[in-house]
Amino acid sequence: MNSPVNYMQRLRIDDKELRARRAFYEITDEDLARLAGLRAFGERNGAAIVDALYQLLLEQPESRTFFPDDYTVSHVKAKQRDYFLGLFQGRLDLAYVEDRLRVGAVHERIGMPPKLYIGAYSRYLRLLFDRLLAELPVDEAHAAYRSLAKIVAFDKGLAIDTYIAANLNTVARHQAAIRELSTPVIRVHRRILLLPLVGTVDSHRAAQIMETLLLRVVEEQARAVIVDIAGVPTVDTMVADHLLKTTEAVRLLGAETILTGISAQIARTVVQLGVDISTMHTRARLEDGIELALALLGRAITTTKAD
Amino acid sequence: MPGPIPILRVADNLLVTVQTDLHDAVADAFQEDLLVTIERTGAAGLLIDVSGLDLVDSYVARVLVDTAKMAKLMGTETVIVGIRPEVAATLVRMGFTMSGVRTALNIDEGLLLLPRPRK
Repeated sequence: MNSPVNYMQRLRIDDKELRARRAFYEITDEDLARLAGLRAFGERNGAAIVDALYQLLLEQPESRTFFPDDYTVSHVKAKQRDYFLGLFQGRLDLAYVEDRLRVGAVHERIGMPPKLYIGAYSRYLRLLFDRLLAELPVDEAHAAYRSLAKIVAFDKGLAIDTYIAANLNTVARHQAAIRELSTPVIRVHRRILLLPLVGTVDSHRAAQIMETLLLRVVEEQARAVIVDIAGVPTVDTMVADHLLKTTEAVRLLGAETILTGISAQIARTVVQLGVDISTMHTRARLEDGIELALALLGRAITTTKAD
Repeated sequence: MPGPIPILRVADNLLVTVQTDLHDAVADAFQEDLLVTIERTGAAGLLIDVSGLDLVDSYVARVLVDTAKMAKLMGTETVIVGIRPEVAATLVRMGFTMSGVRTALNIDEGLLLLPRPRK
């Protein structure tokens, strides 16, 4: 689900997008060549810089929780050194992006908030700058720092994109779940379906209700559909119109709709609004609706024992 | 001239299964064909199965409703069966509810709605 390939696709990163990003971050071939030339510097300083970075992460209570034990710390430090050396590869291709997205995805998955992830980069750059100044002539150090800053900004952009994509993914999953939950069509008896509606019915949901209901009617070869609106807070003209349309569509299939759960309040509103739902079978209580549905099918509930 | 859609006679009823899309010309010929057959046979009931249609536009819907009304004038009850869910949704959305036409889920149910055979 969270594999890097997926993120590549979701963020639509191809050669064209990569070129556009490189152009925006102003990463030139010169920058990449300069970074490649600093590989020895990276290898010399990697361990020290990573150690210093984790000092920050381990001394702040919020970030420390992500590194519960020494084993975890040594593991992530090794990963961090790989990441660090990656900055000095001197190449910026799709494989590089894929690797960076994987790093972002891992941090998103363990629930590290972006503020910590992005915040750590601040220390990273400062540590780098100090080491560059210590080892290189001033102007070379500055040039190297500018190149590094560009590629780090590029990486940060990818990380944020990963976080957003993951969140959108979660939102989409939840929406799908809500959509499913919003139209629970239940088979209450042979050829009788029940749709209990709870919550507000807007046009989007109304369309969804009609679609689901019609499919189920044909699937179950249902003759009667009970729509219970006891859980619908208000029935205005729009909701009434949706219900009438659904009833008509159900009739076209050859089944009948029974509307139940009509409270005194709803009955009053509907009449006061001047909405004519007299073409529908309506009942106050669900149980009456079920009895009516059975009657339409020529069946009935009988008493076998006196109360 | 025989029409493009075969009309079967079963006992006292006419049975039609529409398998091809009803283009305007086909729809008109279909209606004409049906009415002539009703006139000739004096059928008690007419059952039109449209489960083969995944597209019913307002023109076709009107032809079907009109045909039912015309048949009624000639003493023949019409039942339309097998309207697909997506077709029903589209028709209702267009505001076309085929009022006055009886519908059923399938041919079996449709036949039950037709008049009993005359003795």
